Amino acid sequence: MKTLTWFIGIASIACSGLLVGCAASVPPEELLSARQAYQQASVGQAAQLVPAELHKAQEALAAAEKSFQDEPNSVRTRDLAYVADRKAKMAEALATTAAGVAAKTKADADFQATQAVIAKNSAAQLETEQKGRLEAEKKTADAEANLAKLAAIKEDERGLVITLLGGVLFASNKSELLPTAENRLNQVADALMAKKERRLTVEGHTDSQGSSGYNQTLSQQRAETVRAYIISRGYPADLIQAQGAGETKPIAENVSAEGRANNRRVEIIVEIAAPVQGSMPK
Amino acid sequence: MRHIHIAVLTGSILLAATIAGCGAAPAVDKEGSTSAIRAAEESGASKVPSASLYLQLAKEELENAKGLITKGDKEEAETMLLRAQADGELAVALSRGDADMKEATQAIERVQQLRQDNQLPQERK
Repeated sequence: MKTLTWFIGIASIACSGLLVGCAASVPPEELLSARQAYQQASVGQAAQLVPAELHKAQEALAAAEKSFQDEPNSVRTRDLAYVADRKAKMAEALATTAAGVAAKTKADADFQATQAVIAKNSAAQLETEQKGRLEAEKKTADAEANLAKLAAIKEDERGLVITLLGGVLFASNKSELLPTAENRLNQVADALMAKKERRLTVEGHTDSQGSSGYNQTLSQQRAETVRAYIISRGYPADLIQAQGAGETKPIAENVSAEGRANNRRVEIIVEIAAPVQGSMPK
Repeated sequence: MRHIHIAVLTGSILLAATIAGCGAAPAVDKEGSTSAIRAAEESGASKVPSASLYLQLAKEELENAKGLITKGDKEEAETMLLRAQADGELAVALSRGDADMKEATQAIERVQQLRQDNQLPQERK
């Protein structure tokens, strides 16, 4: 009995010692948190971007671990672990900041590079526009020079008036173009294309022979024919109108053959003013 | 006999001086923690959600440390001040980091807007 009592006593002491040992080996919450924070920081960007800060966190954690071994339950151990936790968090925060600063530096460099590209593009665009403008001006000047060779040109209050004699374009009493007229009209149309943003009026005229009603109809049909031909060459349809003036606007006396020949004509009037948006009546 | 009195008096004075010297322990250094808190406040930590918590903790820990100093618990006060300093420094880092990240975001948005306005392709991420 005495031996049993002694055995129980020894066993109780051993168990108590074991329990005390187990309690001492449980790390405080602060140390667990510090270990986790350091682990998180060390696998992130901190090792690459702020290695010195990560090293400080490592040293702080090592100090806390040593204190835990020496004085597991002390306030000092908990405080050192708390500090180690904050050092690890700071390393991670500084790594994030460093990444942000690097991103800003890159974005600033991108901004400058983009501005340079834009400036370069603008200069090239300006040069292209200038070249285009010069070419357009030359084309217009050439077109007017060509027109002057093909037909009589004058300017009045209506605009630039290109006069094509009827005998060149149509057979007598007909409103279909002569085969030889197409070549000339082609050249006129090409010249007009140089300023195809302008409104055109194609106006047909006759001499005074025959009835005025017949002449009105014929002049209208001839104007329509010329209008259709110019459109077929690419001029915007909504910028051209055709009208017949019949015998009402002679430019010469109808008493002579020469005078009548001059009165039989088609005028293409190029308006000087800029076009108004919207289509025109035919 | 008189020599004995002088010796005893001298010895007493030296002993008292020694005891007094031992009693006046060096003051606990609060400079690190107060500097960190001041820096956090100057960096605007109180207006940054992620930083304001740590600034508040640092202030509370500094007050705790002062209480421990008053109670004469120097060792605990010192480690409490380490806590305050660590929290203050973390508040500074988070506060400045927040400002830097905002600047970075603005810089990235600025270049994206410039590219968009000029019909240039966005940089691939």
